[in-house]
Amino acid sequence: MKVNEYVRAASLKEAYSLKKASPKNKVLGGGLWLKKGNADVDVLIDLSRLGLDAIKEEKDYVSVGAMVTQRQFETSPIVKKIGGGVLCDAVHQILGPAFRNSATIGGSVYGKYGFSDVVTALLGFKVDLVFYPEAVISLDEYVKKPGFANGILTEVRIYKSSAKSYFKKVKATALDYPILNLCVTHDKEYRIVVGSRPLVGSLCESAMKYLNEGGKDLDKAVELCLEELKLGDSISAKSEYRSHLARVYLKRALEEVK
Amino acid sequence: MEVKFNLNGLDVCLNVKPGEYLIDSLRAYGVKSVKKGCNASVCGACTVLIDEKPALSCSVLTASVEGKKVQTVESIQEEAGELSEYFAREGADQCGYCTAAVALVVHALRKENPHPTREEIEDYLVGNLCRCTGYQSQTNAVEKYLGGKK
Repeated sequence: MKVNEYVRAASLKEAYSLKKASPKNKVLGGGLWLKKGNADVDVLIDLSRLGLDAIKEEKDYVSVGAMVTQRQFETSPIVKKIGGGVLCDAVHQILGPAFRNSATIGGSVYGKYGFSDVVTALLGFKVDLVFYPEAVISLDEYVKKPGFANGILTEVRIYKSSAKSYFKKVKATALDYPILNLCVTHDKEYRIVVGSRPLVGSLCESAMKYLNEGGKDLDKAVELCLEELKLGDSISAKSEYRSHLARVYLKRALEEVK
Repeated sequence: MEVKFNLNGLDVCLNVKPGEYLIDSLRAYGVKSVKKGCNASVCGACTVLIDEKPALSCSVLTASVEGKKVQTVESIQEEAGELSEYFAREGADQCGYCTAAVALVVHALRKENPHPTREEIEDYLVGNLCRCTGYQSQTNAVEKYLGGKK
């Protein structure tokens, strides 16, 4: 990768002004996807000196710094308390520990990659994203809106939950991208997310509404998901296969979390 | 740009390009034990230890290891020697391309989880591909090697 300059930002202010200065200036997360991209970078902005690598338990949420690695995240006893540990189980299935020692939660979320297991699993919960300067946006909103963000993602806030949870990543081999992933959680309310469609995780809102208003027919809920979900073709699978997988795993998920 | 870090117990200062990856800097410096298997972050042959944790050197920019501790298999010669005896006995030493990386990952596993189950061994090593053994002999060797360890 061609990089003209590598800057270890001494402050968020410096990092942000560098990012703003040019679209060819990029923030470095774990650098895994940046490596695949092959784009030429003018200034690569390193955030490692800014203390964004901590996981803290606050009163209502768990604060995950954007530079927290996937490995830190999946081994955190604080994160394990959320949804019966489903977030740890989900992240654990990504490649191997060496990869996860570099990949960051911030990088996984910011890019809202279609195949992202991190995004799908997080969408099973109420999550806010904190950007510098001064902006808080829900993950639900961030995933739906076009484009990325102008600011720098500093923190992912996961609201505490003891929801019954189910996560599934369907993949052809151990180290593969998912063909489909999904996350279903049930606390006072249901949240149903399907991702790698091949597009990024999406909430099945009409099915959620049906169940949250007292609906008991799980097959009907699954059909509502299938009607609403946009499942498409990609190199790994056709939409018909994705539909078949979704139908089976959504039913299993709903059985398990009811 | 100059990057100062500790390599296998020695403080080094390398002159690298900002976009240069650690594997290329290490191999140019003369450390050939680090192998470029895929250059796509998936095979694990390039694994090194950074601050005692496994990392993919093909995907880590050298500039990012400033001030850190980097280890290649040369830093764990005695352990690697002992592990290789187990590999030999199980028939797990074939082309050897994956092996230096596996030795480092086993070293890291032993620190994190001194008495892993067979399943935990396979799980921790999932990111290290081997084109020769079909993995069973490798797992047998690691299981036996770690079986007697404190």
